[in-house]
Amino acid sequence: MRPTDTSNPDYFHKVVDCQWGCPAHTDVPEYIRMIAQARFSDAYMLNRVSNVFPAILGRVCDRPCEPVCRRGRIEDKPVAICRLKRVAADNRGDITDRLPRAGPKNGKRIACIGAGCASLTVANDLLPLGYEIVMFEKLDCTGGLMRSNIPAFRLPVAVLDEEINYIVDMGVDLRLNSPIDGMEKLLKENFDAIFVGTGAPRGKELNLPGRHDSEHIYIGIDWLESVAFEHTDKIGKKVLIIGVGNTAMDCCRTSLRLGADEVRVMARKPRGFFKASAWELDDAEEENVEIVVNHSPTEFVIENGKLVGMNFDLMEYDIDDKGRIQDTKTVGEQFLPCDDVILAIGQENAFPWIERDIGLEFDQWDVPIVDKTTYQSTLEGVFFGGDAAFGPENIIWAVEHGHQASISIHKHCHDESLTDRLPFAMNLSSAKMGIHEWSYSNDYDVKERRLMPHVSLKERFEKLNIEVELGFSAEQAATEVERCLNCDIQTVFTDNLCIECDACIDVCPVDCLTITENGPEEELRTRLTAPATNLDQDLFVSGKLPQTGRVMVKDEDLCVHCSLCAERCPTAAWDMQKFTLEIPYVEDEAADGLPAKEVA
Amino acid sequence: MSYISKPKISHPRLPKNELGLTARDYEGGMSTLCAGCGHDSITGAIVQAVFELSIPPHGLAKLSGIGCSSKTPAYFASESHGFNSVHGRMPSVATGANAVNGQLKYIGVSGDGDTLSIGVGQFIHAVRRNVNMLYIIENNGVYGLTKGQFSASADIGSKAKKGEENLQPPIDACLSALTLGGTFIARSFSGDRDQLVPILKAGLIHNGFALVDIISPCVTFNDHEGSTKSYEFTRQHYHPVIHADFVPPSEEIKAKYEEGEAMPVKLHDGTQIVLRKVGKGYDPTDRGAIFHYLDEHQKAGEIVTGLLYVDEAPPDLHAVNNLSSTPLASLSNDQLCPGNAALQKLQARFR
Amino acid sequence: MSAKPTVNEFMVRLANVNGTGSASANALLMKALFRMGLPVSGKNYFPSNIQGLPTWYEIRASGSGRLGRTRRVDIMVAMNAETYRKDLADTASGGYLIYDSTWPRNTLLSRDDITILGVPLSKMCNENFPTARARILMKNVAYVGVIAALLDLELDVIKRLLNETFRDKVSLLDANQLAIDLGYNYARDNFTCPLPFTAKRLDKTTNHIVMDGNTASALGCLYAGATFGAWYPITPSTSIMDAFKRFCEQYRKDPASGESNYCIVQAEDELAAIGMVLGASWNGARAFTPTSGPGISLMSEFLGYGYFAEIPAVLFDVQRVGPSTGMPTRTQQGDIMSCAYASHGDTRHVLLFPANPEECFYQAVQAFDLAERLQTPVIVLSDLDIGMNDWMTAELKWDDSYQPDRGKVLDADQLKKLESFHRYLDTDGDGIAHRTLPGTHPKGAYFTRGSGHNMFGKYTESASEYLQVVDRLRRKWETAKTYVPGPVVDYSEKNRIGILSLGSCDGAIQEARSGLAAKGESFNYLRVRAFPFNDDVQKFLDAHDRIYVVEQNRDAQLKSLLLLEMDVESKKLSSILHYNGLPMVAENVVDGLQQDIAKGRAA
Repeated sequence: MRPTDTSNPDYFHKVVDCQWGCPAHTDVPEYIRMIAQARFSDAYMLNRVSNVFPAILGRVCDRPCEPVCRRGRIEDKPVAICRLKRVAADNRGDITDRLPRAGPKNGKRIACIGAGCASLTVANDLLPLGYEIVMFEKLDCTGGLMRSNIPAFRLPVAVLDEEINYIVDMGVDLRLNSPIDGMEKLLKENFDAIFVGTGAPRGKELNLPGRHDSEHIYIGIDWLESVAFEHTDKIGKKVLIIGVGNTAMDCCRTSLRLGADEVRVMARKPRGFFKASAWELDDAEEENVEIVVNHSPTEFVIENGKLVGMNFDLMEYDIDDKGRIQDTKTVGEQFLPCDDVILAIGQENAFPWIERDIGLEFDQWDVPIVDKTTYQSTLEGVFFGGDAAFGPENIIWAVEHGHQASISIHKHCHDESLTDRLPFAMNLSSAKMGIHEWSYSNDYDVKERRLMPHVSLKERFEKLNIEVELGFSAEQAATEVERCLNCDIQTVFTDNLCIECDACIDVCPVDCLTITENGPEEELRTRLTAPATNLDQDLFVSGKLPQTGRVMVKDEDLCVHCSLCAERCPTAAWDMQKFTLEIPYVEDEAADGLPAKEVA
Repeated sequence: MSYISKPKISHPRLPKNELGLTARDYEGGMSTLCAGCGHDSITGAIVQAVFELSIPPHGLAKLSGIGCSSKTPAYFASESHGFNSVHGRMPSVATGANAVNGQLKYIGVSGDGDTLSIGVGQFIHAVRRNVNMLYIIENNGVYGLTKGQFSASADIGSKAKKGEENLQPPIDACLSALTLGGTFIARSFSGDRDQLVPILKAGLIHNGFALVDIISPCVTFNDHEGSTKSYEFTRQHYHPVIHADFVPPSEEIKAKYEEGEAMPVKLHDGTQIVLRKVGKGYDPTDRGAIFHYLDEHQKAGEIVTGLLYVDEAPPDLHAVNNLSSTPLASLSNDQLCPGNAALQKLQARFR
Repeated sequence: MSAKPTVNEFMVRLANVNGTGSASANALLMKALFRMGLPVSGKNYFPSNIQGLPTWYEIRASGSGRLGRTRRVDIMVAMNAETYRKDLADTASGGYLIYDSTWPRNTLLSRDDITILGVPLSKMCNENFPTARARILMKNVAYVGVIAALLDLELDVIKRLLNETFRDKVSLLDANQLAIDLGYNYARDNFTCPLPFTAKRLDKTTNHIVMDGNTASALGCLYAGATFGAWYPITPSTSIMDAFKRFCEQYRKDPASGESNYCIVQAEDELAAIGMVLGASWNGARAFTPTSGPGISLMSEFLGYGYFAEIPAVLFDVQRVGPSTGMPTRTQQGDIMSCAYASHGDTRHVLLFPANPEECFYQAVQAFDLAERLQTPVIVLSDLDIGMNDWMTAELKWDDSYQPDRGKVLDADQLKKLESFHRYLDTDGDGIAHRTLPGTHPKGAYFTRGSGHNMFGKYTESASEYLQVVDRLRRKWETAKTYVPGPVVDYSEKNRIGILSLGSCDGAIQEARSGLAAKGESFNYLRVRAFPFNDDVQKFLDAHDRIYVVEQNRDAQLKSLLLLEMDVESKKLSSILHYNGLPMVAENVVDGLQQDIAKGRAA
């Protein structure tokens, strides 16, 4: 293998699995260390830079960071990153002074359609640069799906309002109850750019016999919205939820709070194929929701004009070694009685209000064609973000879209190339404090992941908006932060200092180091101290070592960043260095374009 | 040293031995030696060797004298009994322990001061008695714990860290053992684990006193220019004469070798060591020739390494004393005490 | 000093040349007296030499059972030309001197107050035995014949003894018989037999044996189940290992396999000997080393190690005069202090003080039990007098129900049940923690090291953890007091003056006390048998106004130890010291007492 080029920020960035896995690349280890030092406001603000809504995301983020967390490869459970985010939010002081403020107007007007997370992020990024943001919202409130589709028992309204208002109060020209009914008309209003952040508001249909013969069959997201806006306040005793995504979880749990006492979530496939996040399944099952697998719906059964239940085919799947379905068989039928059915089988975006002849092209699935880097549609100056761009994702993706779209909007407004964007950069600084002292908590803590305390089952159903999760206690937070492996404190190797004493190799608790003859990667992976079988994780290969010409190889897979290699190294060939990813935001692009003196 | 301890977590795909243990199960406490100490590498090699031999940790006894080297037993096999004795006296403790229980595997770890200065008497007699043990000298030519004095293994002309030159001839443990009737004599280097691990394994299986003299650079007092026991000097003057492949009885000898270039030696339990001769004409069974070979290369400033001499035939301490196959320590009172009737009978001659 | 001829009260001193085989002849004479039911003791005075230097053997016969050394030579057998002048001078007035008159002595070397009996021993032997070697040997046997006639010994007894000794060697038997007859007949033919000193059959030796203390110690080791002995030869302890080896060859060979159920290693020095013992003990065997004062010095480092690491070990220090070419073949009690506190740091060791071979046997067994119970080295402080001289001692008995006290050793089952094992944790307050043996169970593993460990057996250099360790060891010392053998006390409330002593002073003290008692002067008596001293010793100290501490060294080591360890005023203690290398005699004690008492009266 060629010596690893660690000057490319991606190499070390990839080592920080959570940050690499987060669409917004939130600097997780750094904010966890801040929490460990009780710097909650700093931790909150660090979060806000990348993900804008720490309190909201601290509750309802889809947490792409957690499944990739290295801790989850060392033991079963990843660090409770999302919960720690909430700890930062819950314990922050008054940070209003530290929030961005609108800059002096630069004369550019931007229309944002929809007042959800994507549009709000655009507003958050552009207002400080002097842009005027006009935000159109068809409902009479902000938040989009965050408000209409996420039940209050998971995301309290006050939390939502507070973080949205940080942005709105910066000076958004917010126009509620203002649905846009035609793009062509909007284009004529001479905005400098238009951002479409309308989400994916259409729930998927299930056109089976009987679908339209009862009023007790609902589309999940619509039903959640009507609950959120208090148009619906009750449901039957027996409820079937069709689908096992996160919307289904919200529907079943909401049903329980509206009076249902026998709620079944109906899945066509076995566990392992569910779309819902594991923790959302856990929470639902804790509330005694029954999840029924291998039932494929065939019919809504209506008797005397009344929904009495549904028929299902009983499925059987032939699953191969790799967990893929090879064959499907129907092995029977079953009728399940119910009073109501909620369909939660997915959403799609829909743009009935965009004319098809204005130069904004749609693809074969009738979705606008949007550039994956610039978020610009085929119509110059019209940008998309959030679920509106590439279909349903989650909040953290929408935020990232907002950041990227903001850069594009800025460049568009200044006639710069949209694709000529600042690259990621990095900063490395030694964490060494003393002979064996480091500026982070390097002692591996064996404690297991803390469990989120919940409101008791009895209490939580009393009202619809009682937040179930209580947030970590101080002790829990203090324990959980120590579980973080500080993957951003990187092991940095200087080959010409190495005397090949093997000290680092012997002391490494996870056997990730080897000094050996170089070779092709595939072969090299087989003759390391421990086999390097996780191909998703890189090998670091040094240059030739001075005394024998062999190379130092590090398998990044399981490194716990304990620093012992650096402590045992007599020549400081290993050092622990704090890696900081420099993520370019629109303000960096703006500063980058200005003459140096103005930056100063 | 580090004040945090090595985390107990381990790589989930570590190889397991016949006992279902991983190498981690043979580790000990956190080393308090200087970072980069050759002794710690030797600890790593010992861990590897006992792991690969599937020795149950509690079937191992670790002994040492005093000095940096003698701290080593604390750093491996924490589920084994250890005995950090007094300066230069580990061989006697090992002899007594071994005599009463031959079923344990004994590893003695000593240093050049501990073995060749204060302990030279006991060392010599342990060789002579052919005590069945692996005896490791972690040889750095210097007194570490008392901060840098020359030891008896320092070479003529070797310089101390502060520049003082050693003018007295060294005691060569391997040459000494050759003249004392040593039955397993090896030299290696802490920085060459590929060579060291098979030698340690063979030494553990050898039926008798297995001496492994290991050059182990002292990074603090003897890894400088002018030292003849530094990492760099050792690597430059390294002369591997024999490479040992360790072959357990269950495994077929696969190492291909030409006649005259390699020599399989059968150990008492059926294990084989295949000695691949790197030095031409080297015969690890010819005591006289080896003496000359070592002497010549020593004069040429070369450090001859490998399994230098082996002889499985001579009886060990147990055989010489015709000791019971049941460990003496396990014999019951009934087996040991002749009883009152015998006492009365034997007193007849005192009347 | 004049000798009053008596029946069954006499001492015969035999002056010989080292290496002439006189020992067996002297033993024959002593055994003959013993077989006649007469209490006897034998004392051997020999040089640090193998051949050619003077050696003396004394046989005291005492129908009244006084078996300490006496200075009164009733019958001198002067077989060494080199010492003839001195031997002549040493003979008590009224005594007899027998010499080889083949070449008559200078008449100037004569004394009027003794009877000199010349026997032409060489001439007789030259005429009757063919080889030079046999002549020299048989000359010794012949003087036994002479004495047999003079003392009126039962010839049958002698012949039976010869029969037993030379059962398998008929030619030797015949020669010995002949030599006895030659001497016997010559005496009968030429002198008035018997002399006023005569031996008459008694029945005072039933249930007794004649044995030296080293043999008894070795026998104790055998019976205690010791399987490992390491040693470096040193006078006067060597015969312990010689005897142990003999016993093992007889009793410790597996009858089926012929394998040895024991291991004796002759070490390269005492440093190695104690190291081996600690290694073997650590590994669970009962192990011991016999040595003497110089050996204790060399073993001191390891003794401290054994104390702090808490490893059982049994040592026999057969005390002698030292150091180096001091007087290695002379007796002394000079190692009391050096053994009590051997090594560096706060060390103190359990000591046992046998007074005779019988106690050597039982205390050897006790030493192993104590060493394992207390997990510490135990030193049995014998001396050359006890160890190498022939003592009449009570027959040894063995309780077949005896089980060795292995102390607090956890086995595999116990370890399995434990959540975790901590080597130096005192769980029941007696200062003794549980130990484990290598190879038992992975949970039992610990790292044995010097004082730098904490109660969990982990390495420490912490001041407070060190205190915990040494303070617990002190607690263990208190516990030891309840296990060690208590003193032997002869106490009467009437007496406010006592004698306190130890070990081989006993015979002289007993004799002195009975002599003084006959004159109406009584003293209480306490003989310590172990260190630490227990409460009985404190009570004795408290109960007396004046205590004479009798011991065989110059610097009053026992007294010093009492002052250091017990609550007693120094002016209450008065020393009676004997330290010329010869065993103590009753007069030493009597003189010491009377001088001091006289001083007191004068003051």
